[in-house]
Amino acid sequence: MRMAIQGIGICGGFGQGVAALRAALQTGRVEPQEVCIEHKGMTDRLPVYQAAVDGLTEFIPKRALRRIDHFSKMTLLGACLALKDADLLEADRSRTGVVIATGYGTLKTTFDFLDSYLDFGYSCSSPTHFSNSVHNAAAAHVSMQFKATAPSLTLTQFEMSVSSALLTAQIWLAENRVDQVLFGAVDESCEVLHFWRKKFFAEGEQGPIRPFALETQSAVVGEGVSFLLLTRAEQDAAYAFIDRVKLGNHDVCSLRLPQDVRLIVGADGHKETGPWYAQVLKDRTATAYAPLYGSFPAAAGFDLAVAALMLRERKLYLLEDQGVPETTDLQATEEKLACLKFGPAGDYGLIQLSN
Amino acid sequence: MSVKEKLKRVLIEDLNLEDVEPDEITDDMALFGDGLGLDSLDAVELVVIVQKHFGVEIKDMEEGRPALQTISTLAKFIEERLA
Repeated sequence: MRMAIQGIGICGGFGQGVAALRAALQTGRVEPQEVCIEHKGMTDRLPVYQAAVDGLTEFIPKRALRRIDHFSKMTLLGACLALKDADLLEADRSRTGVVIATGYGTLKTTFDFLDSYLDFGYSCSSPTHFSNSVHNAAAAHVSMQFKATAPSLTLTQFEMSVSSALLTAQIWLAENRVDQVLFGAVDESCEVLHFWRKKFFAEGEQGPIRPFALETQSAVVGEGVSFLLLTRAEQDAAYAFIDRVKLGNHDVCSLRLPQDVRLIVGADGHKETGPWYAQVLKDRTATAYAPLYGSFPAAAGFDLAVAALMLRERKLYLLEDQGVPETTDLQATEEKLACLKFGPAGDYGLIQLSN
Repeated sequence: MSVKEKLKRVLIEDLNLEDVEPDEITDDMALFGDGLGLDSLDAVELVVIVQKHFGVEIKDMEEGRPALQTISTLAKFIEERLA
């Protein structure tokens, strides 16, 4: 069943909102911030695309956010921006479902909770940290904040989380269990992730991301949130339609790419996924946007937002490292894009969109 | 740093009271309700905070209720247990 994208709420290393995403696409470049990693008296540095959530206080009072961690704040901000974008901030949401896709979940709070347990024992572990460390906490915050009383769910399947969660949204809409779905893809970075990524990949994590240097590690840690407000396709779409969502494993059953689509790939500098992209792309041209927001599982949701924006504006943006930064006009009608994301074991998610 | 001053600082940090300065918390301000505005979830966190930062255990509500009224009552409770 087709779904219509009615609103986008996005926040990442490039800034907050659709305008910030468009600006990043137009300039073709976003510089990551630099974080310090301190370990055994040594200080190391790592580039990271970090997402600021200061815009959230426009929607929710600061005091009401004091027990909410960064992961849930990003999630809430994405949901607020998507509803605002769709002009539905004041609408009845009794038939709005919430489905969140995340590869890592609440990393920082989980490690903070474990640290407090290890350092001070279980009796001194923060109950607030514990409740926020549960994967579904962010979805619960969204449902409670917006009085969205329809189903609320969080799905985690690493790189396949976004496709998997989209299939869930599709089923809810097809079964008429909901009229709208607030679909969010979110991941956060934290000190522990920075430390281990640096330890595992060393200079391969220094950037810049080169998505099509498929045999080279060039990832940069990222974080952020990308929300879509979805409805059944019986309504007009403010942005675009999601025609098809497919999950599979290329090793088990070869992926045959549709010929009539322009491809956006989730290649993000992780060389372990490089061979899979190399196998299926062969002579096909593709674009990738990881250099605008970094490397993390939920970035597939950012590719989806980019595709939806480009279909609405009928423009295809190419980034600097994929030739020259330029904009190509898309056809006014019957333009099709597909977002392809591979996991390291050949798992893939393919999401086809059209205007 | 006195117990009261430390209490005010850790309350702000651990309960994320970003809009409150230590000077704004008076010694006799009610911690819950109309005073500082804490609630029952904060009460659970307070028990953890007192144990973590001062090594003092609040064993049950019987001794917790009178201690968790104000900064003064909580500081007195901690000082008595540490004496």
